[in-house]
Amino acid sequence: MNRIWALVKMDLRNSFRLSAFKEKIKNREDIVHIIIVIVALLSLLPTYYLLVSGLSNIYDIYLNIGQKSMFLLTGILLSQMIVLFFGILYVMSKYYFSSDLNILVPLPLRPKEIVGAKFVSLLVYEYITVLPILLPFIIIYGIKTDVNILYWLYSLATIFFVPIIPLCISSILVMFFMRYTNIGGRKDLLRTIGYIILIIVLIVFQLKLQSISQRAIVDEDFLYKLITDSTILVRSLGIVFPPSMWAALSLSNLSDISGLLYILLFVAVSILIFFIMLFLSDRVFFKGLIGNLEVSTSGKGAEVRLEDFQRSSLPYVAIAMKEIKMLIRTPVYLMNSIGGVIIVPIVMILPFFMGDQESINLLRNLLKNNQQLVNLIGVGFITLLGIVNNVCSTTFSREGKNMWIQRTLPIDPRDQIKGRILSSIIVQTVGIIVLYGSLAYLGALTLEGIFIIGILGILGSIPTGEIGMIVDAYRPLLHWDNPQRAMKQNLNVLISMGIGALYILGIGLLAYKLMDIINIFVIYIIIALIFILSSLILYRGLKKVIEMTLANLE
Amino acid sequence: MLKLENLSKSYGKGEIKAVDNISLEVRPGEIFGFLGPNGAGKTTTIKMIVGLLRPDNGRIYLDNIDVWEDPLKAKSKISFVPDTPQVYDKLKGIEYLNFIADIYGIPADLRQERIEKYLDIFQLRHAIGDIIGSYSHGMRQKLVLISALINDPKLFILDEPMVGLDPKSSYNLKEIMREKCNEGKIVFFSTHVLEVAEKLCDRIAIINKGKIIALGTMDELRQHSKEKESLENIFLELTENE
Repeated sequence: MNRIWALVKMDLRNSFRLSAFKEKIKNREDIVHIIIVIVALLSLLPTYYLLVSGLSNIYDIYLNIGQKSMFLLTGILLSQMIVLFFGILYVMSKYYFSSDLNILVPLPLRPKEIVGAKFVSLLVYEYITVLPILLPFIIIYGIKTDVNILYWLYSLATIFFVPIIPLCISSILVMFFMRYTNIGGRKDLLRTIGYIILIIVLIVFQLKLQSISQRAIVDEDFLYKLITDSTILVRSLGIVFPPSMWAALSLSNLSDISGLLYILLFVAVSILIFFIMLFLSDRVFFKGLIGNLEVSTSGKGAEVRLEDFQRSSLPYVAIAMKEIKMLIRTPVYLMNSIGGVIIVPIVMILPFFMGDQESINLLRNLLKNNQQLVNLIGVGFITLLGIVNNVCSTTFSREGKNMWIQRTLPIDPRDQIKGRILSSIIVQTVGIIVLYGSLAYLGALTLEGIFIIGILGILGSIPTGEIGMIVDAYRPLLHWDNPQRAMKQNLNVLISMGIGALYILGIGLLAYKLMDIINIFVIYIIIALIFILSSLILYRGLKKVIEMTLANLE
Repeated sequence: MLKLENLSKSYGKGEIKAVDNISLEVRPGEIFGFLGPNGAGKTTTIKMIVGLLRPDNGRIYLDNIDVWEDPLKAKSKISFVPDTPQVYDKLKGIEYLNFIADIYGIPADLRQERIEKYLDIFQLRHAIGDIIGSYSHGMRQKLVLISALINDPKLFILDEPMVGLDPKSSYNLKEIMREKCNEGKIVFFSTHVLEVAEKLCDRIAIINKGKIIALGTMDELRQHSKEKESLENIFLELTENE
């Protein structure tokens, strides 16, 4: 245990750059920098406040149907699902692709000590992710319901244990996944496809459970049960993920012994799964890891043809191609960027895919009669993917230790912008194609839709990409030891998403207001003009930020 | 001509002066050796020349171009080889070289000629189609050297270039440095290996604690020293007296 603790301390010190931070707060320029980041984060607060006040209304709805414990289940379930799904990538990157493995593996450490330490440091990240989601639920429930001190005590235990079970499940899934995909040759590709399938299977599994549990409660005496039993919804829907149900039931049954029993069950199972995960890690971790760190060579020397020496392109095309190659060949980047733009549109139509024929037909008719709206939402969706794909908002961070190359070469900032935006557009194109496929499945794809969504979607991806790039150029995260840190655990992604979402929301609102007043094609033209104009304005700002950062980094 | 004027750089709150008001000139056709103990300010100086560290004070000119005022123009004449060969490990060797050539805008036929020439000199042709991640330290070092030679730089600047190279490559690199200097280019490099500096350099600067404590040809350095034999003795005498 001592060794795990020593590893955890080292890992946290390294991940959060605690030692460097102490130095930073002595320097005036760095303090200004930190203040600007705090201000940028504060700008996310209005959106957050809106969401939280929306939650308060949801509480009232559940209260009215006498099922206020459902409110707790929603929060806890949401937190645990987020940990489970995001956990898969976090775990894969932290356990298998971080550079400290080269140091840790040769040390006389047992696999479970390495995994245990990495698990605990990931847990710290998970608390940071989960707290802003779970706390509003717990606090709103606590304030609006007459609770005693026991509620807050149980809440503490709940918050502490909430990420443990899902993170253990992610760890176990990933360890077996890596164990059985650790087979020579194209394992990166195999793993990426496997990852996309794994995520879709997990979601399908969740949806199936949901529909089963929903069907189960809709019977004749459901209404009667609803009135007499204040936890019927939680106990029926909580089957989707029982641990969330236990936590919700413990917090809503404070007055009797079952509350205590449920929290004990929740804690005990969490601890048990943690030890099962450690036990399994001793057996499978190294089998997935060894050989993973090696990079295979072709042995006989990969063939280089004459054309390879003569391939010349413009600087910005060279930058774009370099970006795309790095994205495709680094599994974590690939899963986050291209994986994201493939998964998100598919996941959106999954519920319909699995629903009954009647509701699909209903939806198809609805979409057919609102073709313009479908196109507009499609454009908004693609534009939003321009941020969610993370390509631009981490483009400089991903350079990491290779940043010296970008800084010593004579690269015009304009080429930097064009090349990096181009790489994002290439990724976006994949997303657009998948969206076309999804819409076609729903019978909502028209020739006009193909053009509108394609053209406006790409035009809209430019300003959102530029927003992400401004944030990332302003404060690139260059010191990382595993690629996941550059991509997902990068605050720049969150800040870009916040600002980008406001931008899209603004344009969406404008389009909505104009819809009844002017012709839809005029609206398309207005949107296109806004995209182009904002691209040009952002371009100028971005150029300055890049020039400044590339010159002043130390 | 490379000209450093009153160059200073300090870290922290100005407490640690890494480079303290140094000035020097390196003429075309010169191999210039930059010597000093660990932490003397060699790498800091080099980083300021190539655009990786902004000087607190002073100016750097290459052919009368202020490196920090007109960085694009200056950088197109400079090639830099850092002390650790950190490069994109997911690219293939040839892809990296083509990327660098694209950025410098080297036409296809010229790049082929240069790439093939240096691949043969450094015996890296067999691995050029492989992912850089599979390279050994020395192979990466060679790749960075080749990439730095593609644009036929006016100023070839190297930080500890011999570290990690096998004897043959190290010999070849010295030949290339001599060749560049014969073509009227400037070769500026830092090193710990005093014999290399002694045999190769036209002029030498010894830096210690951020200050240049000796500057000149080998003969000039000998004249100022009591221990007149080897550079090693001069170096030890000078750096210990500080």
